Amino acid sequence: MKRVFLVMMSLLLVFSFVLAAEKPIKIGAVNPLGDITGDQAAKAMKLAVKEINDAGGVLGRPIELIVIDDEMNPAKGAAAIERLATVENVDFFVGGMGSGVHLAQIPILKKYEKITVWIGAATHQAEIAMGPDADWYFHLHPWDYQQGEGYGIGWTEIVHAYPEVKIEKVFLAYEEGAFGTDSYTTYVDLYEEAKRGEGSWKEVLKEFKGASFKSAALGGGDYRAMLNQAKAFNPDLFIWAGYDADAIPIVAQAKEVNFQPPLFVGAPPGWPADFGKNPLSENVILYGMWAPTLNEVSPVAKHFYDAYVEMWKEEPATYFAPLGYTNIYFLVEGIKKAGSLDKNAIIEALRTIEYESPLGEVLKIEPSRIIKNQGFKYQKILQWQKGRQEVIWPLELATTQLDYPFKFGK
Amino acid sequence: MLNLEKTNKSLKKTLIAFIIFLIVVGIWKPLALVYGIQRGGLYSLIGLPLALILGIVGILNLAHGDFLTLGLYIGYIFFNSWSIDPLISMAPLFFILFGLGMVIYSILIKRVLKAEHLNQLLLTFGISMIIIELIKIIWTTRPRSVYTSYASSSVTLGNMSIGMYEFIYPAMAIAVLVILQLFLKKTRLGQAASAVGQNPKGAEIVGINTNVVYLVVFSIAFGIIGVAASVMLPRTPVFPLSGNPYTLKSFALVAMAGLGNLNGILIGGITLGVAEAIVQSIPGYEGWSDVVFFGILIAVILLNAYRRPES
Repeated sequence: MKRVFLVMMSLLLVFSFVLAAEKPIKIGAVNPLGDITGDQAAKAMKLAVKEINDAGGVLGRPIELIVIDDEMNPAKGAAAIERLATVENVDFFVGGMGSGVHLAQIPILKKYEKITVWIGAATHQAEIAMGPDADWYFHLHPWDYQQGEGYGIGWTEIVHAYPEVKIEKVFLAYEEGAFGTDSYTTYVDLYEEAKRGEGSWKEVLKEFKGASFKSAALGGGDYRAMLNQAKAFNPDLFIWAGYDADAIPIVAQAKEVNFQPPLFVGAPPGWPADFGKNPLSENVILYGMWAPTLNEVSPVAKHFYDAYVEMWKEEPATYFAPLGYTNIYFLVEGIKKAGSLDKNAIIEALRTIEYESPLGEVLKIEPSRIIKNQGFKYQKILQWQKGRQEVIWPLELATTQLDYPFKFGK
Repeated sequence: MLNLEKTNKSLKKTLIAFIIFLIVVGIWKPLALVYGIQRGGLYSLIGLPLALILGIVGILNLAHGDFLTLGLYIGYIFFNSWSIDPLISMAPLFFILFGLGMVIYSILIKRVLKAEHLNQLLLTFGISMIIIELIKIIWTTRPRSVYTSYASSSVTLGNMSIGMYEFIYPAMAIAVLVILQLFLKKTRLGQAASAVGQNPKGAEIVGINTNVVYLVVFSIAFGIIGVAASVMLPRTPVFPLSGNPYTLKSFALVAMAGLGNLNGILIGGITLGVAEAIVQSIPGYEGWSDVVFFGILIAVILLNAYRRPES
């Protein structure tokens, strides 16, 4: 009888060890699934998890991804973190898109202090809210001020690389909401710096003017008054900061008022489904972190693109897709390097790894103005050419030459 | 007789004031006048069907703008799948929305005609939510658009480049208004509709089938929404909330013009459009256009309230 009992106990012990070893590592993601950015980011995360699990998982354990939809609603975004922490008992937080949602999530993230790798929220207000002490917080998307600085570096390098390009006068058209107003404030600061002979824009920003417009996404859609102001200013570089719904009407109305700046730049978070097919898109410049044409210069980008298309039978159309993929891989690389789920070990590992991302560049963690763990710093300068988004800057990643100057009906 | 004379005098005064307003703006800011007439024409075109339903059927349709969105998507399908120009798909769109109006009326609206106003509002609000969510599921939130070369054509006058396409908005608003007035005054069904709008119980007593009148008026209004969607399509991005803001603007117009005053919708729409355009043309004050839009609306409603007790 004693022998049977001992055998049973031994089996139970072995079984529980096996169970513990195979217990998945839980990652909780919060994305706006009704929006293409969140939808594709979540799909790319699932792709990364599938690839990792197919290759044997991490630390001998599979990864389990739990995705919750924040519906772009700050209250729901905050509740999602609370649920992931308490009901789902996740080990890590990932995801993100909108700044407003993230601002509401920050107090909850601070309550649990789990390792968080976030790919959304560009506003510096989120960085201020997070503060300098959150060493468990990793932010991969560039902050708004970093983006502004990056564009200055980009345009300066472009002016040097293309002698025919001249940039002195910059006009910023911005939508009336928080996103546009934040962009305007950032550019005003950059202009003030440039006037003092400081900052990345000092060579290419001699005169600056801005005007607001009501985005079509928020019930507007008539940009002609703003475009007439821009036309009177006669800028070398025209930038509009609005939403994807504004993309086509702004170009169409610019054509209508005969406003044809040499560089026509759009800076929405995403682009309309058929923008590239529209003849008015030709030579429009955009800011973004990724373009499908990176497949031609980056094997990692190509692998991601092909795997995503194979798994989801659709093309990734927003940079949040490769960013979501990066989100999971970066975290898993950190866990792998740490060799355990020890929080401090993983934080240390994440700070030191260099992950070659499908965004075409190597992801390394550096401090930003306030937080200690910032990932990507700059966006890329891209241009629509024959329906494709081509990379113009960084020059080392360029997939084609800049087509200059912008002209309707080229 | 005396009342009719007073009404005519008041209408003349309003028209004269309106024309003087347009002339002054034309001299001061000619581009704002052009943009304002164009935009105001669109507000009027979209506001007319809401006014028709509210004036005759007595229902405030909170899904008004969402049916406009639906019309935009249907027009987009015509363009994208069969390369049918939006101005050509106007005819099928009229009939598709007309049919949809018949279905919505017969299945839903008919049941709440005698219900509390709050229930009517909740019903149309529910319809609005369902349309938005269904559109998101079917087409996602990504904006779509159609490209027609004529939509951004323009003529140059001096140093002004004036877009021609948007003149279609006031032109269509006037055309729809004239057709509606002819329908309401010259046809038996239209006269019956006017009678039902003024006194539904009285109309029933004299043998008018109010249910048929409501059904036809509701469906015609939906058909006009289809027409508005067609003419907007070449200049408007199509996404789940494309038409949503027009519900409030249309309701504001009806409130400004007064219930049953279809001519007032045109004058009011252009006045508000021009006021908006003036504000947008002043550097640094672009963001004030909504304040001015609804400020003028409040001023007109207060003025009307002040004038009515006197008359």
